[in-house]
Amino acid sequence: MERQAVARSRRAPAIRRILTPYLFLLPALGLLAAFTFYPVALGTVLSLFEYNVIAPPRFAGLANFRALWSDRYFWIALENSVTYLAVVPVLQGCAILLALWVHRSARGLGWLRAAYYLPVVTSIVVVGMLWRWLYDDAGLVNYLLLQLRLLHGPVHWLSDPGIALYAVMFVTLWKGLGYYMVIYLAGLEAIPPTFAEAAAIDGAGPAQQLWRVTLPLLRPSILLATTLSAISALRVFEEVYVMTGGGPIYATYTMFYYMFDQAFGALHLGYAAAIGVVLAAVTIGLSVANFKLLREGGLAYY
Amino acid sequence: MRERRHDDLERFAHRARRTRQRVAHSSRAMTRSLVALVMALLLASGVARAAPQARVEFWTISLQPFFTGYIQGLINRYEHDHPGVAIRWIDVPAQAIDQKLLAAIAGGVSPDVVNLNTEGALRLAQAHALADLDAAVPPAARARYFPNIWGATRYLGRVYGIPWYVVPNVLAYNRALFRRAGLDPAHPPASEEAFIQAATAIKERTGVYGFMPNVDGIRFLRVFQEDGLPILSPDGHRAVFNGPDHVRVLARYVALFARDVFPRDTLQRGYLGATERYAAGQLAMLTTGPQFLLRVRTDSPDVYRDTAVAPYPLGRGRILDLPTMSLAVPLASRHRPEAVEFALFVTNDPNQLAFCHLVVIFPSTRGAAADPYFTRGGATPEERARVIAARELGSARDLTVAVPHSDDLFRVFREAVERAFFGRMTPQQALDWAVGEWNGKL
Repeated sequence: MERQAVARSRRAPAIRRILTPYLFLLPALGLLAAFTFYPVALGTVLSLFEYNVIAPPRFAGLANFRALWSDRYFWIALENSVTYLAVVPVLQGCAILLALWVHRSARGLGWLRAAYYLPVVTSIVVVGMLWRWLYDDAGLVNYLLLQLRLLHGPVHWLSDPGIALYAVMFVTLWKGLGYYMVIYLAGLEAIPPTFAEAAAIDGAGPAQQLWRVTLPLLRPSILLATTLSAISALRVFEEVYVMTGGGPIYATYTMFYYMFDQAFGALHLGYAAAIGVVLAAVTIGLSVANFKLLREGGLAYY
Repeated sequence: MRERRHDDLERFAHRARRTRQRVAHSSRAMTRSLVALVMALLLASGVARAAPQARVEFWTISLQPFFTGYIQGLINRYEHDHPGVAIRWIDVPAQAIDQKLLAAIAGGVSPDVVNLNTEGALRLAQAHALADLDAAVPPAARARYFPNIWGATRYLGRVYGIPWYVVPNVLAYNRALFRRAGLDPAHPPASEEAFIQAATAIKERTGVYGFMPNVDGIRFLRVFQEDGLPILSPDGHRAVFNGPDHVRVLARYVALFARDVFPRDTLQRGYLGATERYAAGQLAMLTTGPQFLLRVRTDSPDVYRDTAVAPYPLGRGRILDLPTMSLAVPLASRHRPEAVEFALFVTNDPNQLAFCHLVVIFPSTRGAAADPYFTRGGATPEERARVIAARELGSARDLTVAVPHSDDLFRVFREAVERAFFGRMTPQQALDWAVGEWNGKL
């Protein structure tokens, strides 16, 4: 009797120790399960069905994926989405430089950091409309370039099929800069200043310090930021929706846009789910490659 | 000292008692008046009568806030005459109605009467979401509508919407810009040809764009039809929009685009962009539904003051497009008979006539269109425009093209037209390609 009680009391903390973290995780896990895991599973299953919301789903096997293979707009959208990935290296490079710049503690830099972060918290619809005006034939961008005599006539930023995608990409870059800057700032804060001092004593110049000390130590942040940025580049939608509507000639038609069109325009929800599955596969593949490439690095590694 | 305090206490207690009494008294009075108020409300709201057996949910597209009073008046009268029915009115923004309707149907809370444009009605009819109204509406009631308008939502021989009101495009133009270009504001262009010439002249003489033709997306399908050119073969199984006349029409607009007679964003922003540009005083002519003039009026009163309205400049086919707003009844509605009856009430002659007096729209019923309001001419351009458009009601029709797989086909058409405009294909190549794609799917 007494021994049992002792055993129980000894076991109880053990169970509690195992259970406690899960209890803490439970609310988040519950929400994730209801609003992420379940829809993901359902969406994956849906890609094997023909479904238009109104009639009950009909099993179609791999028909949706076969149709995708010969669907010209799927390939257009895929190509545009992959092109959109070009935003990632440029964005990360700029964000790192920006973070290095505002990392120093000087007067007014707090204000600067806030200013760079402002686009991040601005609604994407507002940003899109704002840039639509800036990009207008008679907008500020053209005005400035014409005043500086860099152009002969206005550039049709959003209505030239060869330029529109890059114009939209620039807005993504502009809007994302502050977000990634904050990630890199946190990474920079974590690097003890002794490393830089040691490098300086060893005779490393600023460029060498950046290339051989700071960037390798920043690698975990770079991994995180590039992965996040690549994922959001692949699923870009709002900027395109607000600024170009996928045009001209489908030059800014992205995977997510096509998915949206198929789901809510054409009511081909199964087909849209199949596009979603392909998009997820591309995203996962890219993330895995990213992790392979950038895994080694950071304070713990050296 | 002690007594003094006792005294204070006594006085305090007394005061408290009195306050309590006063509070009790006033709260009793309040309760009584509240009960009376609730009773009065109950009596007034008709709860004392039988509770409604059918709750009919009625969705409209963007009628609030301009027409809140009108619609609510209809509902009040209907509920008064039909004690067994309660109408729940929900106004939905135009861009959101498809998604919201699908979500409601999928969620098992479908509305009963839904305002849809022809494109939306056809798409949902293709998905088997709407009730067949040829079957649900008795022939006598059907006969009240113009047959050509009744058929706007016909798909595979069945009709899926009771036509409510018709919104033909009108020509709104900026008189100040007309004068600046040396054009007579009293004689706006009356044909597509004159329209193009006026727009060209305005652009050349003032530098301001004259027009933004309705060529974005799939609206070139309408341009062809307005010029009297067919889209499909008579049996509807073949696309035929690559004939020499079609090519000529497209080539003409492509040439205008290349000469910068209309702005680049015409192809992307459509009528919203045109309305914005017009309201900013940066566009001389606007061919759009008259409801957009309300936006011009609120956004820029100055431009609105200089605006005159004239009939839509007809193309060579002399065909006026009649974009029709219909009332559809989803198959998922739980009160289908009540829904149909309410939709017939909303679209009856007196109710349509009253609506037409509020805004430049046209009725779908013969009775309402026979009213002197639509037949007697007037002095102002608006009145003339009204009479001219009303004359077309019996013969014109909604030019929305009804084809299966419409989303796929329209995507191809849009790409072909844009390729032609941006010089990636000649008009002939573009239309040939689109016709080939269409015929592969029709």
